[in-house]
Amino acid sequence: MTLVRDVRLLFWRKMRETLRQPVWIVSGLSTPLLYLALFDPLLKGLHSPLFGGVHGNSVMNVFVPGILALMAFGSGMGAGWTVIWELQSGVIERFRVTPTRRFSLLMGPVLRDTVMFVIPAALVLFVAHFFGFDLHWLGLIILFILYCMLTAVVSAISGSLGLVLQDIGSLAAAVTGLQLPLTLLAGVLLPLSIGPNWLKVIAHFNPMYYVVNASRVLAAGSIQNAQVWQAFLVMFPLLVVVLWWATRVYGKVVA
Amino acid sequence: MDLAIQTQQLKKRFAQRVKGRVKWVEAVAGVDMAVQSGEIYGFLGPNGAGKTTTLRMLTTLLPMDSGEAVVAGFDLRSQAHMVRRHIGYVSQLGGADLNATGWENLILAGQLYGMTSTQVRNRAKELVEVFDLGQIVQRGARTYSGGQRRRLEVALGIIHRPEVLFLDEPTTGLDPQNRHNLWQQIRQLQSTGTTVFLTTHYLEEADALADRLAIMDSGRIISEGAPDQLKQQVAGDVIVIEDSFNPNQLSWMARLLEKEAFVRRIHTEEGKLLLYVADAAANMQEVFKILHHHSLRPQRVSLSQASLDDVFLKATGRSLRDVGQEGEGQ
Repeated sequence: MTLVRDVRLLFWRKMRETLRQPVWIVSGLSTPLLYLALFDPLLKGLHSPLFGGVHGNSVMNVFVPGILALMAFGSGMGAGWTVIWELQSGVIERFRVTPTRRFSLLMGPVLRDTVMFVIPAALVLFVAHFFGFDLHWLGLIILFILYCMLTAVVSAISGSLGLVLQDIGSLAAAVTGLQLPLTLLAGVLLPLSIGPNWLKVIAHFNPMYYVVNASRVLAAGSIQNAQVWQAFLVMFPLLVVVLWWATRVYGKVVA
Repeated sequence: MDLAIQTQQLKKRFAQRVKGRVKWVEAVAGVDMAVQSGEIYGFLGPNGAGKTTTLRMLTTLLPMDSGEAVVAGFDLRSQAHMVRRHIGYVSQLGGADLNATGWENLILAGQLYGMTSTQVRNRAKELVEVFDLGQIVQRGARTYSGGQRRRLEVALGIIHRPEVLFLDEPTTGLDPQNRHNLWQQIRQLQSTGTTVFLTTHYLEEADALADRLAIMDSGRIISEGAPDQLKQQVAGDVIVIEDSFNPNQLSWMARLLEKEAFVRRIHTEEGKLLLYVADAAANMQEVFKILHHHSLRPQRVSLSQASLDDVFLKATGRSLRDVGQEGEGQ
């Protein structure tokens, strides 16, 4: 299978690049750990039944899945920047002249971003456990699958936007412009169940909302739950459509 | 396979937004050419002439609007995948992955063409030797000098031994020594049977390298043939009169000489007057006579052969050197 081989080769190219720049690994980890260290104490001061009552006792059980969602989004977000650099240095054009499928060109960075979500996320869970986060293994595995799909979607979109816009300024505006409403409307920091109705209605149009909802349920160890299959029902078709579109963008782009 | 590249009425236009209105610009306006297998074929023209656009279409990067093209024996439109297997391409941008070492770049490039690890390692060693990359190949490509990077990029373009190699302005930004080295290596490639298609806006490069060349301007081929053949088409000889003349004096002299029957064409440049004549040796005396008659004693009068610039000048009315400089300033 040349496709699998090419994806593997291009994935390792990006992986080597990441491992050469440990700064990114450190900065990727510092945000979630800072949230745990500096934001969690604030949450403890709130009345936990206000937003945590449904899912368990610890505030952490509500808070950590949200942090993971931020990490999943953030890990895919940067793809567009590197794509623009590689477009400018001609790397993408050079690969596009080889017989490699455009899909493998896309999947190299997408898989790298996914791996670069999983590793620090696992570390965060480990730390959070000491802050009182309960580990439900099966639920967490399904949660990770869901979040990896989210990273892949964000990475493919960011990368394609980079190819289309070809300008760092416009890309930054587009990506950060999407990030805040999408994460807030997913209830990343506080569950939207405590919010007004109009907010919940808008949130239903945000795919990430379903993912974050499902992740709270999964983190609590509940697997056979409507919210879980709803999340997969939203994310799977979304992933397929986004990858299809991004592959087409890779096929057309000209520097 | 006799022809490496063949095109018929190749066309491409781009939409350009000018003051809110969409204007269509014909970047390539019907290019016909036939490149023989094993030759070095040059595309010479100023920036913006459509050279790179043509090359991007031929390398499958850009879909053509209309026309037909066969590259390395495969139809460009319906067999793009097969075309990609048989060509190599070194873009103007270069395309070395700066975050990887030269060696990693080479290995990955070979593997993407389906070479096995043994094959690709042997081939990479060979190329490291040929392009003299031994000292630096284990270093990150970001640390390379311009010439080193170019050498790596050309090596990347030929790692799979392509039948047809496309080079887009391969020596732009290189110093004279590196430029001559690269020319040497391009000739070497030709001797192993590779067809080389290159674009350039350097006259010397086209002259020195190309077996045949097409001169391009505004999306069209305006002249095609072997460099010597092209130069002969223009009046064979040129008389160059040089002094620190100001533009007024130059145009006055031009008007003066224009009337003479033996002068085919006149071109003025900074402090220089170029007379295109049929037989310079014979006409020289006449020129001196006229100049002396008007008490003009120029510092230098010399004879030169017509250059490719003269070919361009004749076809377009502009000097390629001038146009080239305009383009680079953009």
